[in-house]
Amino acid sequence: MLSLRQISIAALAVLLTQYAHGQSYQGKELVKASLQAETAAIVPGKPFSVGLLLRMAPGWHTYWKFSGDAGLPTEIKWNLPPGWKIGEIQWPIPLKTLDPGDIQTYGYQDEILLIQEITPPDKIDNSPVKLSAQADWLVCEKICIPGSAKLELELPTSTTAEPKNTDLFARYRRLVPKEFPGSDAKSIWSRTGDDLHLKVTSEQIANYQNLDFFPLPQGNNVVVGHPSVESRKGNEVTFKIPTESLDKNSSSMPGVMVFSKFPNSNDRSGWELSAPQVAAATPQIAQASRGLATFLLFGFIGGFILNLMPCVLPVISLKIFGFIQQAGESRAKIFRSGLAFVAGIFTWFVGLALVLIAIKAAGHDVTWASQFTNPYFVLVLSVVVLIFALNLFGVFEITLPQFVSRGMESAPSKGNAGSFFQGVFATALATPCTAPFLGTAIGFAFTQSSAVILSMFVAVAAGMSAPYFLLSARPAWMKFLPQPGTWMVHVKQFMGFLLIATLLFLIYVLGAQRGLDGAIWASCFLLVIAIACWMKGAFIVPTASAAKRIVTIVIMLALLIWSGAYFIGDKFQASKIDIAQNASGGDWQPFTPERLQSERDAGHAVFVDFTAAWCLTCKFNEKAVLENSEVRDAFQRHGVVRIKADWTNGDPAITKLLQQFGRPGVPLYVLYPGKSGEPIVFPELLTKNILLDKLETIAVASR
Amino acid sequence: MKTKLILTAITTLAAGALYAADVPPVGSAAPEFSAPDTNGKTQSLSEYKGKYVVLEWFNPECPFVKKHYGPGNMQKLQKEYTDKGVVWLTVDSNAPGTEGNITAEQAKKIMESWKTHQTALLLDPESKIAKLYGSKNTPNMVIINPEGKIVYEGAIDSKATPNPADIPTSTNYVKNALDESLAGKPVSNAQTKPYGCSVKYKSS
Repeated sequence: MLSLRQISIAALAVLLTQYAHGQSYQGKELVKASLQAETAAIVPGKPFSVGLLLRMAPGWHTYWKFSGDAGLPTEIKWNLPPGWKIGEIQWPIPLKTLDPGDIQTYGYQDEILLIQEITPPDKIDNSPVKLSAQADWLVCEKICIPGSAKLELELPTSTTAEPKNTDLFARYRRLVPKEFPGSDAKSIWSRTGDDLHLKVTSEQIANYQNLDFFPLPQGNNVVVGHPSVESRKGNEVTFKIPTESLDKNSSSMPGVMVFSKFPNSNDRSGWELSAPQVAAATPQIAQASRGLATFLLFGFIGGFILNLMPCVLPVISLKIFGFIQQAGESRAKIFRSGLAFVAGIFTWFVGLALVLIAIKAAGHDVTWASQFTNPYFVLVLSVVVLIFALNLFGVFEITLPQFVSRGMESAPSKGNAGSFFQGVFATALATPCTAPFLGTAIGFAFTQSSAVILSMFVAVAAGMSAPYFLLSARPAWMKFLPQPGTWMVHVKQFMGFLLIATLLFLIYVLGAQRGLDGAIWASCFLLVIAIACWMKGAFIVPTASAAKRIVTIVIMLALLIWSGAYFIGDKFQASKIDIAQNASGGDWQPFTPERLQSERDAGHAVFVDFTAAWCLTCKFNEKAVLENSEVRDAFQRHGVVRIKADWTNGDPAITKLLQQFGRPGVPLYVLYPGKSGEPIVFPELLTKNILLDKLETIAVASR
Repeated sequence: MKTKLILTAITTLAAGALYAADVPPVGSAAPEFSAPDTNGKTQSLSEYKGKYVVLEWFNPECPFVKKHYGPGNMQKLQKEYTDKGVVWLTVDSNAPGTEGNITAEQAKKIMESWKTHQTALLLDPESKIAKLYGSKNTPNMVIINPEGKIVYEGAIDSKATPNPADIPTSTNYVKNALDESLAGKPVSNAQTKPYGCSVKYKSS
């Protein structure tokens, strides 16, 4: 024991400087350490690679940058003259070992080269140049012994340089993981309880027998278990990464996805999944500090404000029209009708909450307004809006089967059923308008339990239905409304045009999602729907014979089925669009996590506009604020990089970032002030003054 | 919520049945154990109910353990908190034939020459306690509150090195957790990644 202690003390002590240093233990050399360069000489200003070469005695190993359940990563501290720069260690993919007691470690056996890039200054005065570094490592077999060495490398300077040690560097450079190929592979993170799940889709996957994920947990507080392959099939693999004490809001972890023929085989290659570093800088949007009651109040206010949002406006007018009509009826009738409308609103929100809870439980990423990222949802909504509009134009009447309407004539339930579905419809249209309060409120709810989500949605529903409830309970307040008359038919028809305007907006969304072709094919389908509606109005009338009606219905069905299969099932489905191309207009760059990271690494201030084609608030903000010449000048003057994150199709990378900011949807405006500053989040209703103000502040701060 | 609880319960049961169980999470009940100390007396966790208990995994040959005993850092902690009524149990879970496995006699000698201040040093050559707590490192630290719940598990401090010179500039997580607990406050940093040598389990 004594000898062991002496040796570790000796190993810790600063040792004589040599070109190579040996660490020995009980007369046996455990590690031979040296510095190697890939070049025979230094050319001023030209970067070159150096490496710490560790040769371990058989059976002994040193560690990767994440050592696993035991051990320590090797450290290299360079002592370079001023003006010299050193890059990060390029860690080769390690070997994974499992020791008794389920102790899993990541390390290197026999030999390893830890490569770094050195950039010399443009002018070097003395030659040869001495570069020195202090290396510390832990070498283990059954026992562990720390090792340490002061190493030196001497190189002449020259105007040209021959490469050196090329085989050695090539051997280990081959094992360094590559950047995750965003173009050929997709990664999706999710979290259930304390387990993270990483799904990777790539054609590469099918070529390798052995797949693994080596985690790189950040910070002392994260304890990570042993990742394993949860499932794999064809081009898809899902890893499970158990964790402990990982931040509640975090649903990913940096690491390396490893491919090889066999576990630890020499052909191993890998992709680095980098840290979404934004996560570390996630601003606390006062989430925890505001109590549940406050958030329910926000939900209520947000719901109320939904009534004023542009995409609900047409329905509001419809509803007001309904109240006008009801104003002549008995108070009890009006109240019942109002209650039915309110019930419709509640049904939609509670239904939505239940669906979300179900999907959340199944472990998928779901965000507010995410329905709008699904083109088929938009298509269905277009069909509904069109039918509604044609109905208002008087192309056809919605008539219930005679026996039903006869039964209903005595009871007032016909109007109530209508009001109920109007309530459902109004709220369906309201969803993409994330009003400012609602955004925060729902964002909070998404990190919560199912019960909280449900109560949050109920609060929103209560807020949205409050004015209708009040007006129907106190119809006296409607007495100022004009008397019904023939003008109502004109109002009704005019409402139809408002709905057509809404339809144009939906087709614009479809166009943004599926391109011009997609929008045209969807419109073709809508045309056939319109024809079918006209047929119903023209031929299915009480005076028509039964045979005529049946023939009409058969033709209608045939038209619908054929056009649905052809325009939607075939043509629309095949229409695709490259969002990145779509978004790169003017001074704005399309968003990728890598671009954001590299701009931030370069020390640039970055402004990110999270937007979507279907988000009217976003479009308004862009036109009124972001495209404003004053704002544009300010961006240019302060050298702010502008990135547009287009969420029209629900890009998962953007979804993840939105979640990191506690936001369930767009719009979101974030300003990253340079390299280290905390990101600044702007309100959803952006104003010129706020933006110019903040741009000025960061400019002052960086001066 | 309920489903998650049930799932957790099932997983815990399943994991408990396996060799080398998962770490029982912070906030859960500390698993009961009993083991002989250096005097041959059997010590059980349940005897100390009502008191704070510190578990410290030990290996006299491990450079990371020696980092803290060499300059007297571990002894100082042991003295400070046993004086305040905290029970400090040092556990040697290394299997016979591996580095760090010690007999009662060897343990007594080490305790004497290193001037240690723990309540008792427990001999756990079958690594039973280590398995119960999912302990994989020396040193690995666990703090149990008077109600028998785990309030801290993880590293002794913030700098994962074998170099004693790093101690003065490290944050001592165990000291912080004990100070907070004794002051009746919740532990702010309740779980960290332990560092050190591996616990030497028997090869199976």
